[in-house]
Amino acid sequence: MTTVPADLLAAGAAADSAVTSPFGSTLRRAGRVLRRDPLACLGLLLVVLLVAAAVLGPWIAPYPDQGRGVADVSSRVQAPSAGHWLGTDQLGRDVLSRIIFGARGALLVPLLVVGLAVLVGVPLGAVAGYRGGRLDELLMRVTDVFLAFPPLLLAMVAVAVLGPSLLNAGLALAVAWWPWYARLVRGVAQSLRDRPFVEAARAMGVSQPRILSRHVIRNAVTPVMVQATVDLGTVILAAGALAFLGLGAQPPAPDWGLMVSEGRVSTMTAWWISTFPGLAIFLAVLGFNLFGDLLRDVLDPRDAR
Amino acid sequence: MRFVVRRILSACGVVLTLTFVTFLLARVVPSNPAAVYIGPRARPEQIARVRAQLGLDDPLLVQYLTYLRDTVTGDWGTSIGTKRPVLDEILSRLPATLELIAVAMTVAVLVGVALGVLAARHPGGLLDGTVRILSIGGVSMPAFWLGLLLQIVFVGKLGVLPATGRLDRTLEYTQPLREVTGFHLLDALLTLNAAALSSAASHLVLPALTLAAYPAGLMARMTRATMREALEQDYVLAARASGLREGFIVWRLALRNAIPPTLTVLGLTVAYALTGTFFVEVVFNWPGIGLFATQALLNVDYPSIMGITLLAAIGYLMVNLVVDVVHARLDPRVRLT
Repeated sequence: MTTVPADLLAAGAAADSAVTSPFGSTLRRAGRVLRRDPLACLGLLLVVLLVAAAVLGPWIAPYPDQGRGVADVSSRVQAPSAGHWLGTDQLGRDVLSRIIFGARGALLVPLLVVGLAVLVGVPLGAVAGYRGGRLDELLMRVTDVFLAFPPLLLAMVAVAVLGPSLLNAGLALAVAWWPWYARLVRGVAQSLRDRPFVEAARAMGVSQPRILSRHVIRNAVTPVMVQATVDLGTVILAAGALAFLGLGAQPPAPDWGLMVSEGRVSTMTAWWISTFPGLAIFLAVLGFNLFGDLLRDVLDPRDAR
Repeated sequence: MRFVVRRILSACGVVLTLTFVTFLLARVVPSNPAAVYIGPRARPEQIARVRAQLGLDDPLLVQYLTYLRDTVTGDWGTSIGTKRPVLDEILSRLPATLELIAVAMTVAVLVGVALGVLAARHPGGLLDGTVRILSIGGVSMPAFWLGLLLQIVFVGKLGVLPATGRLDRTLEYTQPLREVTGFHLLDALLTLNAAALSSAASHLVLPALTLAAYPAGLMARMTRATMREALEQDYVLAARASGLREGFIVWRLALRNAIPPTLTVLGLTVAYALTGTFFVEVVFNWPGIGLFATQALLNVDYPSIMGITLLAAIGYLMVNLVVDVVHARLDPRVRLT
């Protein structure tokens, strides 16, 4: 066994500790940011509310059956009141219950989309950026084609071809989203390739998959996490837009975008039917945007405002 | 110059690849394109006839080359929905959409840059906080919902603005607008038609505001960040020390250096506007490409979908090309990479 020069070891250790800052200090920093910035608190609160509604939906909704889509013709199109806080829709269903039931889809679709995009984009970007050369060139040209479309348009066309459904909308959005992660991680990988600690790892004979996972991808975790959080919001927006056009979830699903579209015919007479589901989308997206800012401030203090 | 040529060549490559993708989507993904073409209750012999007519029995490569030739020569197929040539449909609706996007983007850039600069001058102040809330609210707002809200308030409750369309219906009988360019504002000015001008402008207010919200928010965020950086530079300190007026320093010196990075965001926001206009046009019944596109998407009108996709992609590439070239002119460092 060859002995490893001490400074190389030190470089490796320093790199490791730079990547994994102790959990406690991260929490402390989060506390500091939250105390200083009320908007960050709002973001955290909105995300917690969304998750709570998604998990506890059937137990906290005032009219669980109507949340699932059962009509109640005796109470059609009622304005907000003590019995129905946010009013009822054209089929007499409680709007609040429908919104609470919609939280699950609103959270799962973006998780699926961003999850798939990260799973595909991150390894591809890491390998391409680290290895460079022809592989890198090929990947960049492929992403060029994807990025030449506005992502939502790409998703719309894909859904129209595949047939409108919630699952297809999710898959279509994932297809449109992965190149952004590939590009992001490629940039990180490229900047790391010639850094001393990576060179040291190479010199010590560490295998390429191990360098990629231990050093390259580990260092890309922070930017990817920040991007993914903001993207969760963006995907909620995109999925809502698809559903609004009729290219996402289909009736009687309690989907927020679909509910806005269903209420559209009577906006002038019964404003609450489309206003509140739209507000839910807005608040969820706002929550993830603010939460993304919070994450960036906490995980990457260099960038702090 | 070499930079521009290189960018144009690579954009052409991307467009060529795109034609292949749209071709695949329309001809290969659906199991029986001919049946889609005629409708759900087609008889087998009809399908066979259409297959021959569309050249679907030829090898794929031949089909693709035919498609390319037709696209270049202006034959973009016939819309299944309206039975008119796709290119005619698109061109006749293009001015409405471009007018909406142009007005919205102008509003977005002016408002966004102004807010960003004001926020950057007093970081941490009340104005800065307000701008931050506005900008993050703007980028979180679903366009289709904002449009409905504006309709509820300004049409339903206040009754001060029209809800849908581009012009008042009654105008046709009193002072009809003569079409010159298809851009109503421009046409009204050219033909000195004051009634049409005010009608067209009032119809534009709500859709343009709806479409501008997201780009304005993004521009404000970006301008604030780049302006703060610019205001901390030594040349600003030197300018202040030599007694130049603060307004001149902020709006002329610093802003000029803060603009190039914001330009790249402008490219992104135009991409947003290209799809955002779909929803705005649906909500406001605006007779542009977006309204046509959503109908085509819902009816699985392949020729129209292919045409619109190609057009949108070309438009998007052109915008990014222009942004890159302007960026390179303003900031010579870009040309080297």
